[in-house]
Amino acid sequence: MKHVIAYAEHRAGETRKVTFELASEARRLAQSLGGKASVVVLGSGARQLAEQLKAYPVDTIYVSEDRDVDAYLLDPVVEYLAAAARKVGPSLILIPNTLSGRDIAGRLMVRLGAGIVADVVDVKVEGDSVVCISPKLGGALVTHCALRPADYGIATVRPNAFAAAPGGGGAQVEELEKPAAIYAAAIERDVVEGAGELALEEAPVVIAGGRGLGGPEPFETLLKPLARALGGAVGASRAAADAGWVPYNLQIGQTGKTVTPNLYIAVGISGAIQHKVGMRSSGTIVAINKDGGAPIAEFSDLLVVGDAFRIVPELTKLIETAKGQVS
Amino acid sequence: MKIVVTIKLVPEPNAEKRIDPQTKRLVRSGVETVLNPYDEYALEAGLQLKERIGSDTRVTVFSMAPEGLKETLRRALAMGADDALVLSDSALEGSDVWATAYAMARALRSLEFDLLIVGGLTDDSSTGAVPGALAEHLGLPCITNARKIEIRDGALEVERETDAGYQIVRGPLPSLLTTALTFGEPRYASLKGIMGAKKKTIATIGIAELALESPVGTGGSKTTLQSFAPPEVRGKGKTIEAADGVAGAQAIFAFLQEQKLV
Repeated sequence: MKHVIAYAEHRAGETRKVTFELASEARRLAQSLGGKASVVVLGSGARQLAEQLKAYPVDTIYVSEDRDVDAYLLDPVVEYLAAAARKVGPSLILIPNTLSGRDIAGRLMVRLGAGIVADVVDVKVEGDSVVCISPKLGGALVTHCALRPADYGIATVRPNAFAAAPGGGGAQVEELEKPAAIYAAAIERDVVEGAGELALEEAPVVIAGGRGLGGPEPFETLLKPLARALGGAVGASRAAADAGWVPYNLQIGQTGKTVTPNLYIAVGISGAIQHKVGMRSSGTIVAINKDGGAPIAEFSDLLVVGDAFRIVPELTKLIETAKGQVS
Repeated sequence: MKIVVTIKLVPEPNAEKRIDPQTKRLVRSGVETVLNPYDEYALEAGLQLKERIGSDTRVTVFSMAPEGLKETLRRALAMGADDALVLSDSALEGSDVWATAYAMARALRSLEFDLLIVGGLTDDSSTGAVPGALAEHLGLPCITNARKIEIRDGALEVERETDAGYQIVRGPLPSLLTTALTFGEPRYASLKGIMGAKKKTIATIGIAELALESPVGTGGSKTTLQSFAPPEVRGKGKTIEAADGVAGAQAIFAFLQEQKLV
C-alpha cells in the first residue's frame, strides 16, 4: 500500500461532505506512505463534482459519467473502482461507511484480495503498516487493527471522522475507460424521499426525537425548526421509527445509523442501550426529558428536566435571535 | 426452488460483551447464544417466499459456528426452515472478514440454491462487508437492504431501501439478497414448529470438505487486531430542573454558548 484512493459517493452530483473529508484524509495518508492521493467519481454529475474536488489537495481525480453507473446496482462502481485501483497500483482505498459504501467495500475486497477494516474513525501509518482505529461492539470497545502488508487495503470510514481541509489544487482530471462488463441488477426506479435534506450521518448537529414526542407532528413542528436554526438534521429513536412517526432512514442506534455530530440534542429519548450505541461518540450531548432519572442522564453533558414542547420552541427562538444579531 | 439463509450465532445482544485479553476474541462462555437478530429478518424473508411460492420450496439455513453451538439453530428450524448446515472447524477460529467470507463462500458453493438471503449486519461485529464479499466469491448479483421481494417469471423484483429513499431493482435468479429491518418482524416459533424442529437435520461439515486454496483462521486473515480498549468514559454531566420553557431554553442556550456551539 503506497497510494491512497478515496471513493466519492454522491447522488447525481449532489455533494456529500464525507467525500471532501476522505479526499483530505487521502492526501494526509498518501504523504505518510510516500505515494499519491486520488479520488474516483462516478456516474451522472461526476464531472461537476470533479471540478469541486479540484479545491482539494489530491493528485488525480478519476471520472466517468458512464450511464451504467446509475442504471445498475453498484456493479459498475465495483468495476470502475477495481480498474482505478489497478491503474494506480498498490493502495489503501477509503470508502465512506454508508449503506452502499459497505456493499462496495465487501465486493472490492474480494476483487483486489484486500484486507478490510470497517467503521474507521482514525488511521495511522506506522512504518509500512496501516493501522485503523474503529469502535466495535456498539462502541463498547475501540480497536486498533492493522492491515497486513499487501498490495491493497480497504477502510470504510465513518462520516464526520475527519475534517475536510481544502487547499493545494492542481489535480489532474482523468477519464476512466468503460469496462467490458455485463451487469445483472438493474435499477428500475430510484425514488428520493426528503431530497435536499442533510444526510443524517454527515450533519454537524443532530436533533433526535423519541417516544416522549408522542406522535409524528412534533418532528415537523418542534424538531425541524430547531435543526434548521442550528444547521443540523433531524433523527429519531427506534421507538419513534417503530411507531411509524418517521421513516426508518432517520433511526439512530444499534439497528439504525451511527452518528457523530459536534452537537447531539436528544428530545424525549430515554437513552436505552439500543439508542446509545448510535450516538455515544457525539461531541456534546444535550438531553431534554421529563424524567430526571432517564438513562440518558448517564451519558449526557447536560440534561434539562422539563417539558420539551415548551423548551424547544423557546430555544429555537434564542438561537435564531443570536444568529440574527451576528449576521 | 431452493433458498439458503445464512445465520450467524451471536452472544445475546443485551448481554455485556467482553473480549478475552489473551485470545483477543469475544468471550462466549456464560453468555447465551442466539440467532443474530438481523439474520432473523433474512429467515423471515425466506419463509415468506416459501409460503408464497409453494411447498416444493425448501429453506436451508447455513451457519459458520463452533460445533458446540449448533443446537442454537434449532430455533431457526422451529421458525420453519427445513434443515441446517453448519460449517465448523477449529481452524476457522480467528478468521477476519476476508477469511470468513472465503470459507463461507466455499461451503455455500456446495449447496445448490436459487436464492441466498443474508442478514444486513451482525450484532456483535458489524463490518457489513460479508454479503458483498459472498456475492463476489459466488459470482452472484448482490441486492441489499430489501424490504419487499417478488419473484416473477423466474426473475427477482426487489424494493430496497437506500440512504435517500428506495429503489426498485430487477435481478436474475440466483442472486444474493440482504434484508432491511422494515421487511417485517420475524415470526415466533409455534409449538408445532418447535416439536417438528426436533426431527429436522443439522448437518456439519469441516474445512477438509471445502477444498480450500488458501488458509483461513488467523493465518489466513488479512488484518491483525493489535489492541483494544474501552472508549474514554463520558462523565455524567449536569442535570438542571427547568421551571418552565423559557428557563429550560435559557439553560441550554447558555450551555451551548459556553461550549462555543452557538
